[in-house]
Amino acid sequence: MSSPAGITLDHLCKTFRARGKAVEALRDVSLDCPPGSFTALIGPSGCGKSTVLRTALGLETLDSGTVRMADMGPEKATRAGLTGVAFQDAALLPWRTVAQNVALPLEVLGRAVGPEQGRIRELIDLVGLKGRENALPGELSGGMRQRVAIARSLVTEPRILFLDEPFGALDQILRRQMNIELQRIWAETGVTTLLVTHGIDEAVFLADRVAVMQAAPGRIVDVIDVPFARPREPALFSDDRFHHLCDQIAGALHGGHHAG
Amino acid sequence: MPAEAPGGRLAALVRALWPLVALLALWELAGQMRWVAGGALPAPTQILYRYWQDWGDYPRHIRATLIASGAGFVIGNAIAVAAGLLFVLAPVTGRIARGLNIAIFALPPIAIAPILSLTLEGMTPRIVLAALGVYFVTMQATVTGLQQFDSRAGDLVRAYGGGKAAVMRFVQIRGAIPAILSGFRVAAPNAVLGAILAEFGGGGRWGLGTYLLGSLGRGDPARLWGIGLTATAIAGLSYALFAVISARMLGRTRAVSLNPSAPPSETREPVNLPVMLASILLPFALWWAVLWALQVPRMIGKSPWDVIDYLFLSAQSAQAQERLLGALLQTLPITLIGMAAGLAFAFALAVSSRLTPGFTRAFLPVALVTQTMPLVALTPLLVLILGRGTAVTLWITISVTFFPAYVMIAQGLAQVPRAALELPRAYGATAWRELRLVAIPASAPWALAAVRLTAPRALLGVMIAEWLATGRGLGNLLNQSRGYMDFSMIWTVALVSVLLSVGFYQVALWIERRVMARMGGG
Ligand SMILES: Nc1ncnc2c1ncn2[C@@H]1O[C@H](COP(=O)(O)OP(=O)(O)OP(=O)(O)O)[C@@H](O)[C@H]1O
Ligand SMILES: [Mg+2]
Repeated sequence: MSSPAGITLDHLCKTFRARGKAVEALRDVSLDCPPGSFTALIGPSGCGKSTVLRTALGLETLDSGTVRMADMGPEKATRAGLTGVAFQDAALLPWRTVAQNVALPLEVLGRAVGPEQGRIRELIDLVGLKGRENALPGELSGGMRQRVAIARSLVTEPRILFLDEPFGALDQILRRQMNIELQRIWAETGVTTLLVTHGIDEAVFLADRVAVMQAAPGRIVDVIDVPFARPREPALFSDDRFHHLCDQIAGALHGGHHAG
Repeated sequence: MPAEAPGGRLAALVRALWPLVALLALWELAGQMRWVAGGALPAPTQILYRYWQDWGDYPRHIRATLIASGAGFVIGNAIAVAAGLLFVLAPVTGRIARGLNIAIFALPPIAIAPILSLTLEGMTPRIVLAALGVYFVTMQATVTGLQQFDSRAGDLVRAYGGGKAAVMRFVQIRGAIPAILSGFRVAAPNAVLGAILAEFGGGGRWGLGTYLLGSLGRGDPARLWGIGLTATAIAGLSYALFAVISARMLGRTRAVSLNPSAPPSETREPVNLPVMLASILLPFALWWAVLWALQVPRMIGKSPWDVIDYLFLSAQSAQAQERLLGALLQTLPITLIGMAAGLAFAFALAVSSRLTPGFTRAFLPVALVTQTMPLVALTPLLVLILGRGTAVTLWITISVTFFPAYVMIAQGLAQVPRAALELPRAYGATAWRELRLVAIPASAPWALAAVRLTAPRALLGVMIAEWLATGRGLGNLLNQSRGYMDFSMIWTVALVSVLLSVGFYQVALWIERRVMARMGGG
């Protein structure tokens, strides 16, 4: 795996105008994710988390501000195969099997799929879908589809990974399992990760830093460091310091502005 | 699929077939007893007997019609799919070709059949008319299918640096296949109708249209029914073929959640004068070019200018205007009424068939029987039954409008994703509520498109009826002018009916846009 690359979001501003109404989705959002870091983005529904991800990937145009990844703009970075993404919706192609859906990013980037068959299988195993390689999305549960999307986000061996609530449809136990797997993959590959989540505990367990957003206008109100040593064990979930940090983040989420 | 009880399939089959059996039995009885207009409706067994006697004639006629409609179907669809791709990849081409597309769609085949027979030779008029009949339906289906892809999947491809071409390749083309197949399905009977109408209006020894025309004078209802049913069978089988193929493709690969992207409709573009002008002029330029390329004699082939000259500047123009206006006043009101009735019928049926699927399966064959060719073939019989008045015209217009509208609306209802359909059901909603909450709003774009697509067909229906039965209006004027070899009037009626159709189309489009804007679809 090549060296990881960082993400720099610099004063992003974005206002959606639809049917006469304007929604200020992002106001002056700046965030610096150093190479190999793990950042969680947390905030109330509709505050602009997905929009941050989409602008970073060049899917939305910005009113102002810049996005840099490994010294490239979004267009160049995505085309170079630097990034991997799992959206909030699994967005699987209904006519492709699980394995074919996982392979899609490779095909889009014009890479050969044949030599990667082994890895595609491993990724499908990794997300717990062994034996369903040839199933169609319509035959899977919502959680299974989401796991296919996770496997798909890793197939290109990205240096930067964007995850938009990737575990939203999973049960608590599976979610924990996937959290631990994700930490392992992140540690092994050193991929710079930006994770959008609604789960405070998930954010604290996985991230180096948690960025807290507020809505209307969408903005980052706080960035909280998570000091726990790596690798983090499931026991951390019942640690007092862990809970203390979760409470602090919950406070920031509820608008309680504290110094720092 | 709900689990079926043992023997459920057989029971379902019986339930699906009994209305058909009952209908056949009633028909047989009515035919044998000569209940309808003194034998205008022969019994099925009498038709079969006639078939047996005529069997020597059929193969060659069927072959000729099949070749013409088959060749037209293949050529028309190939051009249509290619054009659809082009219009989506380079939208400006679509805007330039817009006038041409609408003209092709709206032109009543019956109006240009005489022109084609005058200017082309052999099988060509039939193939051209069949191809013209399928072009618009398939082109439109291709464009709609390609445009209305899952935007989330498109985002995914773009997130990996994929451009327009990659989204087209990985998402849009495959995603459009069900829509294209349903286009083929609707287009198939059109090809048969086009070929037969061309046979009707032109020379040639073989073909079901020719056979029908030759048999009209014999006053043998059983023969006419036989020909009509044969054409129906061809149209119906071609429809069924694509219905089966598309059902297979849609089956397991239906999208599992509702795509939040915009519904299919012609998007309003900023007005661009040169493009608009080009779009209006292109059909006329093509008209000129074809006349010039084919070296049609000036006497027969009239250019756009000749028509204007005839209608406004020449010595006969006052008289020509008067005849035209009179015909228009007879044609227009009946068209509007028939259209409204056909659409209402289609919507009611599509909705009720969503509520009671068994009913659709029973009704669809009956609906097919009343379609395309039979309209031409059955008009003489309908005249015997209903007289030469308004009833015939109305009945024919309704059925011409009804079929495409029904298919479009039913398709809209069928495409509502599973998750969206099951949500109200999960809250214990009744079938009717479920329909009102999800199915009808989700299918509204299709219903409105159906309005737009069927408006010109209504005019065609009226003109067929006028030509063959009532002896009024534009259809009759066309037929008369054909008889008098009044070439100027033939071209004028063709042009006016195309312009009328385009007018209907534009009005329907305007309504569609108003409604869509209210629903927040733009
Ligand atoms: N294409 C769009 N057109 C108009 N408004 C949009 C569009 N996309 C997003 N918005 C608006 O921008 C705001 C931020 O949306 P976004 O999807 O980024 O929220 P989010 O934080 O991801 O929410 P959630 O947690 O529910 O996923 C919302 O108010 C939303 O309505
Ligand atoms: Mg979101």
